[in-house]
Amino acid sequence: MVVNSSQRRMSITAMAVVLSAIASFSFGSSTRVAVALSAFLTLLATGAAIFTTPGLRSSHPVVVRAALTITTVDVVLFATYFFPANTNTNLATGAAMSIVLLGLSFLTGASGQISLGNGAFMGVGAFAMAIWANHHATSPIVVGLLVAIVSGALVGLLLGLPATRLRGPYLAGMTLAFAVAFAAILSSFNSWTGGDSGLQLPTAATPPHWLLGFFDSGTSLLTTNSMWLADIAIVVTGVAFFFMANLFASRTGRAMRLIRDNDVAAELVGVSLPRGRVVAFVVSSAYAALGGALSTLIDNAVSPSTYSFALSITILSLIVIGGIGTIPGALIGGIVYAYSNSVITWITNQTGLNPQGNLASQLNGIIFGGLLIVTMLFAPLGISGTARHLWRTRRRRTPR
Amino acid sequence: MVTARRCRLATTGTAILLCLGLVTTGTSIVTAGATTKHAVKVPGVTANKITIGATVPLTGIASAGYSDAAKAANAVFKYINHKGGVFGRKINYVQKDDCYGTPGFGCTGVPNTVTQTKALLALPVFATVGSLGTPTQDSVRSLLRANKVPQLFVNSGSTDWNSPGAYPSLFGWQINYHAEGKIFAQYIKTTYPTANTCFLGQADDFGSDGLAGILAGGIAPSDTQLYTVGGLVVSGGASVGPYVAKFLADKCDVVVLYTIPGATDAVLGAALKIGYSPHWIISNVGSDPVTVDEPFAKAPFPDPEIGAVSFSYLHTTTDTGNPWLAWTTKVLTADQTDFPGFGANSVITGNMANGIGWGVSFVEALKAAGKNFTRASFLNTLTHTTFSQTPSLTPLRYTPGNHQGLNGGFLTVVKSATTLAPINGQVFTTDATNSGPIKPATSLSSGIPSWLK
Amino acid sequence: MDPFLTSRIMTDLLGGLTNGVVYGLVALSLVLVWRSTGILNFAQGAMPMVATYLGMGLLSYNLSYWPCVAVAIVAGFTIGGITERVLVRGLYGKPEINPIVVMVGFLIVLEAVAAAVWSTKPRGLPSPFSAIDWQIGGKPFGLSDFSVFEILTAIGVMAVIAALFRFTKLGLQLRASAIAPEVSRLLGVRVGRMLTLGWMLSTAVGTITTILVASNYFTGLTPQVMDGVFAFGFIAAAVGGLDSPVGSIVAGVSIGIILQFVGDYLNSNDIILTALLILVVSLMVRPNGLFTRSSARRV
Repeated sequence: MVVNSSQRRMSITAMAVVLSAIASFSFGSSTRVAVALSAFLTLLATGAAIFTTPGLRSSHPVVVRAALTITTVDVVLFATYFFPANTNTNLATGAAMSIVLLGLSFLTGASGQISLGNGAFMGVGAFAMAIWANHHATSPIVVGLLVAIVSGALVGLLLGLPATRLRGPYLAGMTLAFAVAFAAILSSFNSWTGGDSGLQLPTAATPPHWLLGFFDSGTSLLTTNSMWLADIAIVVTGVAFFFMANLFASRTGRAMRLIRDNDVAAELVGVSLPRGRVVAFVVSSAYAALGGALSTLIDNAVSPSTYSFALSITILSLIVIGGIGTIPGALIGGIVYAYSNSVITWITNQTGLNPQGNLASQLNGIIFGGLLIVTMLFAPLGISGTARHLWRTRRRRTPR
Repeated sequence: MVTARRCRLATTGTAILLCLGLVTTGTSIVTAGATTKHAVKVPGVTANKITIGATVPLTGIASAGYSDAAKAANAVFKYINHKGGVFGRKINYVQKDDCYGTPGFGCTGVPNTVTQTKALLALPVFATVGSLGTPTQDSVRSLLRANKVPQLFVNSGSTDWNSPGAYPSLFGWQINYHAEGKIFAQYIKTTYPTANTCFLGQADDFGSDGLAGILAGGIAPSDTQLYTVGGLVVSGGASVGPYVAKFLADKCDVVVLYTIPGATDAVLGAALKIGYSPHWIISNVGSDPVTVDEPFAKAPFPDPEIGAVSFSYLHTTTDTGNPWLAWTTKVLTADQTDFPGFGANSVITGNMANGIGWGVSFVEALKAAGKNFTRASFLNTLTHTTFSQTPSLTPLRYTPGNHQGLNGGFLTVVKSATTLAPINGQVFTTDATNSGPIKPATSLSSGIPSWLK
Repeated sequence: MDPFLTSRIMTDLLGGLTNGVVYGLVALSLVLVWRSTGILNFAQGAMPMVATYLGMGLLSYNLSYWPCVAVAIVAGFTIGGITERVLVRGLYGKPEINPIVVMVGFLIVLEAVAAAVWSTKPRGLPSPFSAIDWQIGGKPFGLSDFSVFEILTAIGVMAVIAALFRFTKLGLQLRASAIAPEVSRLLGVRVGRMLTLGWMLSTAVGTITTILVASNYFTGLTPQVMDGVFAFGFIAAAVGGLDSPVGSIVAGVSIGIILQFVGDYLNSNDIILTALLILVVSLMVRPNGLFTRSSARRV
């Protein structure tokens, strides 16, 4: 009964989508914004319909996740049209970082491994993207992103293989050494990576021509502010989150959590420990590389100093604060990353510190380091984990 | 029952969203159209304030000495603000620590150059002024170009800043390492004609520009070594030790250093350790005596930098006849926030003098741009004006095809742990693109504009 | 004189040895903490750095060198003890990542606070002995008074630690609490106190190391003075085995010597690459370090 009604609803929505698509094309060039709008609304309606259909969550979780992703991405994309340039830059930066955090969240949260080198994996993707773009200036952005993902996965595999035999502190040591050595590795391939000066993108990232043509009245809007970059970052982030949500819920994800909680039991029920660990490592570094590739687009350049050990530490801090092993934690961490600087500036202004003084210049370290300690000691689940925990206990207490 | 209610809820919700979407789209497009009509607003500029920014190393290996440059420029801005600002606008100078973007280990709590530059963009700033470092500023020049933010007076002598075609709003300030290298080469040729010259530089455009200058000046170092900043940091300075040992083994009489002060210290220390004392020739940016002396202050031997030859595009503190000297002391003394305890007898370090120099240049450029300016008109003024009353030895002159900045300087020698003195006071210059031979400078800068006093 | 003594190989060997004992000391201090409390201390460079500032800062109040060193070591003991009591106590038995994250946070906070209080300007430390290399036949021999002092200090510290663990009742209690805390508690050992003592010892060893480093490389004392040394010491501890004091010292000295040769014969850029390679290869061969006796995991 329930399934029938949901099937009916889905077919109605599908028809609506097809109809609005036909309608959009009949509008002609003068009212393209209206087309975009109708597409936005259709997606929104489809998402809302699927998401609210009862029973679908348990019978077709993937469809619901897809709907949730598409709707959210849709709304944020729409919002970027109205945001000022700074907000869009922050959005893009935060989105790129949240992809990296998602990878680490999976590695640490799901399989229990520790990485202090995800900043360097991010750098692998960033450099792969920049090198690709410098050699193939006209290739579509998505190809560059794929190159970055593959490079990240390969390097992850290279380091993940020896890592399978290592327990916590030794693994931490190896990833730390990789992060510290990353700049030196780049320097060894000077002619490719540009050494300490890094690489510049040959041209600023621009939207593809069909889209520019579509938005002909709004061309300047797309290219002059950071809306376009924010849009790419948001779509890519949506895809990344969708895949990760499914991975978390899949058989592989469950096997990983078993490895984390009790590796002996995991082996007893037939989970291959080394394989699980390597897969987690590869996924995490591929995600980091994807985030790095987006950062290259946003920054228009890449340099070894950006992907230092300090960045690896920042990444670890952000996911700890957001919530290790959770998906929303990665989003929260991304937002914290995008806005932490403004917050520090605000605190400096509010407290009347001399901005060039010793204390003000160290405020970032004191606050970030302090947050890290406090979170781990008092709320090791991070913001998202703690919130979920509180929500569940409250629900349990409330009489129904 | 429950299902039906949920369905209705969903439908109503979607409908409300639809209406909201339509309304917001409509209004926003209208307002967007309205604001673009009178779009003369200049980012970072209001009727009584202009906000500019910079990324500078306040932490880490390069912070020694270098952290004073932007503070000194800010002292100039504060002094001008105290006199009422430029056309009634106070200069608000925001400095962000980037730890010299140190790759590798260390500076765990400090955001990198890109992050800090984005923070400046968010303020927003009219321009970045005097951001420090070759590798660091290389890494953000495309970001600043994409956001159309002028990148003014980069505090580095790399030739990277002079590429008006690719980076139309990027401007250097000090004479470049290439020209400096050529002047060093001429000095080596005349003073040590039979010497065996060796070279140690930083493994980025700082070192390679310097080396190119030395080579262009006709000196081919018999041994050339490059160190990376990451390696220097992670080894605590020890990574340059083997290079110095090699110079000793190769019997180098003259060693040219294109190093930041932290690396200069490591080199001088390593040489002292093995009892090696060649004739040191040290690039301007790595030779400030006060900075270099800091780790040696407690040592039982004299400052090993004494006697080293360097180069300056500014007057030295020994030139007491220079009116800018007293003015600088006055400006720094007035700023007891960033220079606590500074007084009439305090030492003006090379880095302070550098900051004073481009700080004055920015104020003069702002004055020349007039009361109503945009980014475009400001840059147009900058490329069509000769600033001849500056603290530098030669006038500051940009053209639409040349964004390098200063183009003259003289050789100096380290006299004590705090002072540099000119060797003979002869100011050299080269042609606008720095590609030709060096020749004695004919036009020198003169005096202080009365409105600045 | 024998030209071999001033040859490139000999100079590198001695220079590497001098660096290596420092890495060995850092590794030893990491092992002390790991053995007593099972925690990998990322602030192992930063905590002694603060102690060194506290002690050697008294130089500017005209206190002479050796009393300052004594104050610094006492400060090291204190900082180690307070850290264990306040920060680390609540982390025992938690997942492996928790203490790692807390200590990373502590590293960031300490470096930032030190830079805020003492600024990042390098402070020259007077060195009690000449750091200028001896000369044999007009050529430098790779040792100076100071580097001999450095090597002797390292040997002394190692001997004291070894004697403490092997020949004293306190050492027995320390070892017992690390291996079997529950049994020790039943036998009347005050395990909590022993854990604190482990941290105090480790930070004191670290402080001695920091003073050596800050006087050695002509870079002076800065908040980041131990960053690089920590990275190499950390690699040495992982290669040698976090359970093995002897292993950490042997690994530290070997890595110091190997890296010196790499820096001289190859390139300074290859130093850190070689360190990474050594770590990866040795962990592939022995995942728990070269000198760990059993591969049984701590619980």
